[in-house]
Amino acid sequence: MYNLELEKLIKEIEKTKAKQVLLQLPDGLKNRSNEIVELIETKTNAKAFIWFGDCFGACDLPLGLNSLDIDLIIQFGHNRFNKENW
Amino acid sequence: MDTIDLTRRIGKMPRLFLIDAKWEGKINLTKELKEYFKKKKIKSVALFASVQFTDLKDFLKELEKNKIKVNITKAKRTNENAQILGCDCYEDSFQDKIIENSDAVLYVGDGLFHPKALLLSQIKEKKENFKPVIIFDPISNQIKEINKKDIEKQIQKKKRNLKLFINSQTIGILVTIKPGQQYFNSAKNLKEKLKERGKKAYIFIDNNINLAQLENYPFIQCWVNTACPRIGTDDIVNIEKPLINIKEAFNPIKALEEIEKWKIN
Repeated sequence: MYNLELEKLIKEIEKTKAKQVLLQLPDGLKNRSNEIVELIETKTNAKAFIWFGDCFGACDLPLGLNSLDIDLIIQFGHNRFNKENW
Repeated sequence: MDTIDLTRRIGKMPRLFLIDAKWEGKINLTKELKEYFKKKKIKSVALFASVQFTDLKDFLKELEKNKIKVNITKAKRTNENAQILGCDCYEDSFQDKIIENSDAVLYVGDGLFHPKALLLSQIKEKKENFKPVIIFDPISNQIKEINKKDIEKQIQKKKRNLKLFINSQTIGILVTIKPGQQYFNSAKNLKEKLKERGKKAYIFIDNNINLAQLENYPFIQCWVNTACPRIGTDDIVNIEKPLINIKEAFNPIKALEEIEKWKIN
């Protein structure tokens, strides 16, 4: 099993007072997205949504979310990376 | 786990929270892997892993106990030792050159995307120095070896595309708006450089680089990708239009000379 650090996730939502969060998961974890939504909506006041499309890395973020008033993107399966200059 | 404020980079954006989802199971040096090393006479490895499997402390101890010398470095883009990303596919992607001092490359994880980067990073190596990549999946305990022949198609296409780029007069430069892959300024810089070389260049912007769109611009003779470098190494196999990565576009003749040395046998 992969450690999804759900307790820390809940704390982050509470800390940031996010009202709407978007979950972005790589293909191998997408089948756990329903479980995470249910947990967030049970334990916090936030509403959670699932990004339908790809999640290739921390370099691959969904854009254009401003119009939906999403406060927090939670991306699983990746960590911070250092962008290179060409 | 990390939190990043993206406002500075792309204006108003939601906050980003990253969870790397580490594998909770134990990574064991299996009997099969030990036998594999013995059979192939492997005494040293350059060790890499995807972020889910970078907790390698016990695995390292077991390797040492079995007299396998382990070489570890940090890829420049990553934040953990031994971690590899798919974009770490150039020989200068790593802090130290550990592959040339090892008998083989050992990748802990699943899939082919990351281990293929470790083959692509050896593109300039001579035949005798090229190291195979052993993929060890710690969940299924399966072992698979990939080698030069597994990237042969990509290399031949890359070579052909570089030649076509050098001879093209009209270039299309692709830019994504995804913040982690956005190189708008580099694209503008390249356009100026190409102009100085007497070529015409146009910059195209999109979110996802959908390569099917290339066919809608028949006036472009060759494309330059500034987004994920694996578009210019892997995806080119599936498209007819020539496309190269921005890293090669600034000095295509040097890139071609290096790739010309590539031999399958």
